Amino acid sequence: MYQKIALAIAFSPRIEALIAEVKRLVLLFDSELVLIHVGVKTPELEKKLNELIEKNQCDPAKTKVLWKEGKPVKMILQACREEKVDLLVAGALKQEGLFKYYMGSVGRKIIRKSPCSVLTLIEPRVKTSEFSRVVINGTQLEITPQVIKHGLEFSKVVKADQVSILNEIKMYGLQMGTASEDSEEEIAHTRRQLVQNEIDYVEQILKDLDKGKLKINIKVTGGKWAVELARFCEKTDANLLVVGDERKLNFFDRIFPHDLEELLSTLPCNLLIVKK
Amino acid sequence: METLNHKEVINLLLQLAAMLIMARVFAEIARKLKQPAVVGEILAGIVLGPTILGSLMPGFQEYLFGSHEMSNIALDGFVQISVVLLLFIAGLEVELQIVWSQGKNALKIAVASMVLPIIAGFVVAYAFPEFLGVNINDRIVASTFFGLAIGITALAVVARILMDLNLFKTQTGLLIIAAAMIVDVLGWIVFSVILSLSESGSGGLGVWPTIGLTLAFTLIMLTIGKGLINKTLPWVNKKMAWPGGLLSLSLAICFLAASFTEFIGIHAIFGAFIIGVALGDSEYLTEKAKEILHQFINNIFAPIFFVSIGLKVNFIESFDLGVTGVIVIVGLLTKYYGAYFGSRLAQIPRRESIIVGFGLSTRGSMDIILGLIALESGLVSDSLFIGLVILALVSSIASGPLMGWAGRLKI
Repeated sequence: MYQKIALAIAFSPRIEALIAEVKRLVLLFDSELVLIHVGVKTPELEKKLNELIEKNQCDPAKTKVLWKEGKPVKMILQACREEKVDLLVAGALKQEGLFKYYMGSVGRKIIRKSPCSVLTLIEPRVKTSEFSRVVINGTQLEITPQVIKHGLEFSKVVKADQVSILNEIKMYGLQMGTASEDSEEEIAHTRRQLVQNEIDYVEQILKDLDKGKLKINIKVTGGKWAVELARFCEKTDANLLVVGDERKLNFFDRIFPHDLEELLSTLPCNLLIVKK
Repeated sequence: METLNHKEVINLLLQLAAMLIMARVFAEIARKLKQPAVVGEILAGIVLGPTILGSLMPGFQEYLFGSHEMSNIALDGFVQISVVLLLFIAGLEVELQIVWSQGKNALKIAVASMVLPIIAGFVVAYAFPEFLGVNINDRIVASTFFGLAIGITALAVVARILMDLNLFKTQTGLLIIAAAMIVDVLGWIVFSVILSLSESGSGGLGVWPTIGLTLAFTLIMLTIGKGLINKTLPWVNKKMAWPGGLLSLSLAICFLAASFTEFIGIHAIFGAFIIGVALGDSEYLTEKAKEILHQFINNIFAPIFFVSIGLKVNFIESFDLGVTGVIVIVGLLTKYYGAYFGSRLAQIPRRESIIVGFGLSTRGSMDIILGLIALESGLVSDSLFIGLVILALVSSIASGPLMGWAGRLKI
């Protein structure tokens, strides 16, 4: 599924946990590992990194370390493109302040501009994270069939116990509000139909996919998908959320945050962003 | 505090009962004929007003709507509140998320579908003010008002038609919805600017301060205002009765915003609309709460407003075939072609562009409110207002079948 997995390292206190996490993924997906550091290569840092690689028993034949100098975001993305990376792993803070959000952090810029899928780990651990309860965004978007496929493939490899596909009824309030011109029976029918349409949409996508032994359930909600996904993940104590990212964000997206931006500001769990 | 006397209370209650009953009867007939409820409600007003009841039973009509001045003032208060609440739910309907997701295409369609009718409406009204019934002393403002009134789309009506045609969730449906949302936002900003033009001559704030205030109010409400709403709503939802607490506080902030914009010289309805957008965009206003607000306002206050239109004007005495004909033709053609060309500009295929054209031509809510404001400000004549109401009726009746027809076209 992933030929190359990359990890952007900053020699922060969490570096060891991140390397352990990514090593596990490399083994699970039978991939090559690319470690990217943007900054001056010093003998001390090189020694420290080599020790960590050895400690985590990373296969030297399948591990590549890239030392880059320049602007972090630009260099990391450039390295991903050059190395044809399929998955970039990054650590994230669980909560970010309003000011930082508006200024934009390195992590967010990478997520916005990355050419490959990005896995954001909220609390990387040396003992590694579990991905037993996975939630996939099933809201009707152009990228959704690809997100569901990607999410299921990932879930099979990490042997998830439970996969939930959450689907949002767009403008439920407006639709049901205008339906109030109808009889009670018709309104009930409209309500049922709205839910059924969403279930049919997901089932249509699932029909042609290999689900392996995964336990999949489809949940339907009304509201804004990003917010509903965050709430659902918190409620079900999910440990991985899979969403798609199909468009570039512009100036207005920062003033009026929505969708992915909202999700990034309230990361409920680890987040896998599937790119088009 | 002055209060209504015994007879005035009875009169007011009878007025409201008659309006709600007639609105319901005609809305049900419209429903049976697969037409939007608003069509029935407007017709109910025409029946209840001077046009029909006033001609057939003038004594009864006079007793009901003309015998007690104080009752009529109280009724006008109800109508004003209805207009503010209609704008509030119009704001709630705007989902910025949907607008962003449709991006530039929706913006192109919305702008094109507004610019063409505004320019055409302006030119026609400016060139023939006496024929159309535009106030010659405030020609520029009145002409622009007319252009804007024929350039608006009725989001709630088009949403219903799209649902009936099973097009709501299609790409074309979402594009129409998003474009109609942009039309609403742009329309009300243009409206407040035009209003300032009118008031500048009579000691108002002036154009630039009003434009500045309008934009500042909009931006502040959608950023800081929304932030405050996001901080307060979870507490309201958790600690207060549901949906009681939410409903009363939502309406309270709607009235606060409306009174604020009225105070700073922008019309009250603008404040109601923008606070509706801010509240509707909040992640903590659940879809269930939106549904309740919709039902509550659509079925109680909207009928009162739409019926009240028929009470204000005699649709036979002031009817002018020439004026109505021009308004209907100019209104339908410019709105359709504006939206169609906007859609083609956004590289939408021809058939879908035709659907978009007919979809955005749907009227029957905000355009009538605009027309009524113009009528009450003395900017337009009764005949022109009647033309606008008939345009709303024709377009909301015709756009569903026309969109259905366009969907079956093999092009």
